[in-house]
Amino acid sequence: MVNIPVLKEVTEANTILADYLRSRFTHVLVLNVIASPGAGKTSLLERTITQLNGTLKIAVIEGDPTTSIDAERIAAVGMPVVQINTQGGCHLEARQIQRAVEQLDVADADVLIIENVGNLLCPTEWDLGEDIKVVVASLPEGDDKPLKYPGAFLKAQAAVINKIDLEPYIAAKAATMRENALKINPGLAIFEVSCTTGEGIDVWLDWVRQKLAEKRAAEG
Amino acid sequence: MHEMPVTQALLDLALEHAGGRRITDIYLQVGRMAAIVPDSVEVFFEYLSEGTLAEGARLHFEMVPLEMTCLDCGSKQDLSAWADQPPHTILQNAFARGCACGGKNLRVTGGVSFGLVSIDVEPES
Repeated sequence: MVNIPVLKEVTEANTILADYLRSRFTHVLVLNVIASPGAGKTSLLERTITQLNGTLKIAVIEGDPTTSIDAERIAAVGMPVVQINTQGGCHLEARQIQRAVEQLDVADADVLIIENVGNLLCPTEWDLGEDIKVVVASLPEGDDKPLKYPGAFLKAQAAVINKIDLEPYIAAKAATMRENALKINPGLAIFEVSCTTGEGIDVWLDWVRQKLAEKRAAEG
Repeated sequence: MHEMPVTQALLDLALEHAGGRRITDIYLQVGRMAAIVPDSVEVFFEYLSEGTLAEGARLHFEMVPLEMTCLDCGSKQDLSAWADQPPHTILQNAFARGCACGGKNLRVTGGVSFGLVSIDVEPES
């Protein structure tokens, strides 16, 4: 028998492609938005796009198992969008992003937002060439969400706690969810927002602008 | 449930390194927080490897505990002593404890990935 050392990550082919995409994504900030179904990813995108419109150019890639409902919501607010249907697949992969950017003009975009498939486990394992992973969790899902899905919170740089307008009516508390997220990842930037009322969105948008400025400054 | 595409990636990577020889054993490392279920990988492997040079290969899984690195002094902490605790408890305790150097700036650097260590192939006849 001959033993052949490999010593590579199983998903290396995906990571190599993701690194290539990242090298192509100069001067555009790429966000990979990860959350459970119904946490409010598309609502956060709508708020972000609407409020940044006129100051920053946004492009969007929507990932869903089926339908183009989300892409239609984004197109309705006037943004270039490509819908990826994974045909049941539970996450996006770099090769799907590569195909999507062939159809989407990201050359003059300031921010490219990739809305991953609604799932808090699988998407965290697949690099899409993003600069930043953003995890979205809504308060009604339970303030213990970060403890149950530590991988997503560990690999993210930012966490958006959505639906804080519902706090008076439910047991979950935003402060507890924040505390739990910081137990998993003390370096997380955390934003408490309501995409329904718009509360807290300004702080989130300031952070996005700041990250774009930092990326461009680093690129020179 | 992402084990199927992960297993396909594993199979592709193994076949790529086998150089056209039959694979008999595949050695894998599964991080404590890699979100990979070995039993599920086994099931998909049996199905996906059918008709390939890896058909019938045995999969060997080694679990890898969480490891943290201090960004201040560079020293590594093996957290295997806490391996029987859930990941969030391990992380919380490790971040709270910090590093022996007094630093609190820790990063998780091990136990989060799924790696292909090596393969055994039949010698060319």
